[in-house]
Amino acid sequence: MIRTLLSALAVTAAVAYAAPAQAQATLAQVKARGSLNCQVGPPTPGFYALASDGTWSGMDVDICRALAAAIFNDPRKIQFQSVTSAVRFTSLANGESDVLSRTTTWTAVRDTQLGLEFAGVNFYDGQGFMVPKASGVKSAKELNNATVCVLTGTTTELNIADFYRSNNMTFKPVTAENENVLVGTYLGGGCDAYTNDKSGLAARRSSFAKPDDHIILPETISKEPLGPVVRHGDNNWGDIVRWTLNGMIEAEELGVSSANVDQMLTSTNPGIRRLLGVEGNIGEGMGLTKDFMVRVLKATGNYGEIYERHVGPKTPINIPRDGSLNALWTKGGILYAPPFR
Amino acid sequence: MNTLSPPQAAHLTDTPDTVKVFVPAAARAAPSSTLGAAAWIRKNMFSSVPSAFLTILGIWVVYTVLNGFIGWAWTNAVWEASSRRDCLDKVGNAGACWPGVVVWIPNLIYGLYPKDEVWRINLAFALLIVWLVPLWLPRVHSKVAIGLSMVLLFPLFASYMFMGGEKGAIWTALIAVGLTGFLWTVLTAVTETLWGVPVLRMVARKFGATTAEAESRIGQVVLLALFGVALFIVFELDFVEVRTRVWGGLFLTMVISGFGIAFSLPAGIVLALGRRSKMPVISLLCTTFIELFRSVPLITILFMFNTMLPLFLPAGVEVNQLLRAIVAVCLFASAYMAEIVRGGLQAIPRGQYEAASAMGLGFWQSTALIIMPQALKIMIPNIVGNFIGLFKDTTLVSIIGLLDLLSMARAVGQDTLWIGLFIEPFFFITVIYFVFCFAMSQYSMNLEKRLNTGHKR
Repeated sequence: MIRTLLSALAVTAAVAYAAPAQAQATLAQVKARGSLNCQVGPPTPGFYALASDGTWSGMDVDICRALAAAIFNDPRKIQFQSVTSAVRFTSLANGESDVLSRTTTWTAVRDTQLGLEFAGVNFYDGQGFMVPKASGVKSAKELNNATVCVLTGTTTELNIADFYRSNNMTFKPVTAENENVLVGTYLGGGCDAYTNDKSGLAARRSSFAKPDDHIILPETISKEPLGPVVRHGDNNWGDIVRWTLNGMIEAEELGVSSANVDQMLTSTNPGIRRLLGVEGNIGEGMGLTKDFMVRVLKATGNYGEIYERHVGPKTPINIPRDGSLNALWTKGGILYAPPFR
Repeated sequence: MNTLSPPQAAHLTDTPDTVKVFVPAAARAAPSSTLGAAAWIRKNMFSSVPSAFLTILGIWVVYTVLNGFIGWAWTNAVWEASSRRDCLDKVGNAGACWPGVVVWIPNLIYGLYPKDEVWRINLAFALLIVWLVPLWLPRVHSKVAIGLSMVLLFPLFASYMFMGGEKGAIWTALIAVGLTGFLWTVLTAVTETLWGVPVLRMVARKFGATTAEAESRIGQVVLLALFGVALFIVFELDFVEVRTRVWGGLFLTMVISGFGIAFSLPAGIVLALGRRSKMPVISLLCTTFIELFRSVPLITILFMFNTMLPLFLPAGVEVNQLLRAIVAVCLFASAYMAEIVRGGLQAIPRGQYEAASAMGLGFWQSTALIIMPQALKIMIPNIVGNFIGLFKDTTLVSIIGLLDLLSMARAVGQDTLWIGLFIEPFFFITVIYFVFCFAMSQYSMNLEKRLNTGHKR
């Protein structure tokens, strides 16, 4: 409660005082500093994971790596700031972070009232349910009168209440603030189902002794578009983040990857030539170089490569991409980058 | 045969020698039923039916818990695996998965500090220990000066060792001051142990100083020379910059609590004296500070300092995040310490103040020589209790994103390879916390025993 209050207070104050902190354009500040201040959260597998050798990696980390590559041609020029979610927006508003890339849901209130600018979506998440396979449950609609383990103080609690109310069903919540406690309850049979964002469910399931004994139900009961965020008021910086992300999605659609980017420079496809800066001047218009996407692709690869590397079926997280929202629009998903021209 | 012992014999010399003396019979051996382990067990554990029942119950509980624990932590534990999945495939949840903790130990201790530079931390802590050793050497007399120099000067030198990077003229001078303190401590410890004279005086005497005045004058020159040597060394040092963002683990916990502990005691004493002062402005200021910081949770203060402060500072002025956390912890701890000290001061009988005044001692003299030594002695358990609390409270800095020991332990279970590994790292840091807190508590007991000379009843 205190934390919620505080963060509300801090964000209000931050919005009120944010203006002077932006006297200088963010890109100029980053260049002068020589590194990008990239805000991530406390380590979370798949999105901003910390390995035992001290390196950060993940879907959201690669957004920052791509930005550092676009600006400095060096994906290592990043200062990672691991900030708790209670103070994430304040830390962005007060100028400590240049970009916030940490599974943050794009919502109307955040976009319009907290002085934030969402620069796109790099992962479409949504709340789902996990149940033991032995229960025989195949759909969330069968979970009437079930006891459900749910984290308190998060939107998951509100989403599940909405879901049950709109389906005229009832449920008994088992709540805890600590995810470890909650998962322990679920594994101990204390509840019939465990609900959380699907990416979180997949990561959790991979830590079970027998992951195959649990299934994630197909229903997605909430929309959680996650993406990088910047401060209001510096549109050029927002453009840089947005078009770096779009470039990675566009590159996958055009079949340009880290492996073939050098050959693609001689491609005759006008879309590829514009993306890689062989034609046109999109990069320089933003204060970057013409070939910024070449740098990005060499450093991190296209969106598909990033997905497979961090959360794809070959990783312990194992979130299948085919047929999900995160597939390209050409493959049944909704990932769609506006044209690079 | 006369069986008298000599003193009695001396006492009885003027009486005739036919004195009947009581000679007690030799004591009989204790009944076998009250001797040995068996008797002790019968007396203390099986004296009655309920007692016997409780004993058996107790043994069963201890056995079950220990058996389960050893089974988990040792017998069934996995010691070699490349990922948590490996461990789970081998023993499931029946045994601990230690390899995850082992590969994370460097991070748990040093955070994300570059591994090539970790020797700097080790060296700095080794220097700290060398600085501390003279405080235990019986022949060293300048203990107060050495202790003070450590608290005041070690941070100057250590912060450069930890941070590295560019050093301007002022910064260089400060580091050299820190190093001077270290050199002086080592030399003093050596000369006092060998010849019983502090190094400065000894050198001064070598140069033929006879009066105290001359000694101190030459002593100052010698100190300046030491400073010159230190300056020379510092010029030669060139450490790579390591930003405080990557500091973490036990190292960070020790930095924050070290500052908090070193700062809170003197600040607390000043605040407590200020609060009891008869000067209204000082008293009001100190009371306001103490009450303000004591009535707000530490988490709030950390939060304010961390996220609100940058908003109020002019654009471009950046205060290091770690520094903000340290300042917040220091202020919070000194407010608490002030009340502990005030409690100790109130326990001193009025007669002590009056006696001090009667001897013609002024406020500072009576406080420093009469009141504080007695008050601090009474306060030791509370002060150390506060230090222990502070050491553990530093885990709250994880809320502002500093990767302290607890955050690092949490991170283990979020590593993609060791996903879900929580109990083992928590167990490991529990041991670390216990070792440190228990050591502090033991030191306090030891200190109490040594100082508790006058009041034992």
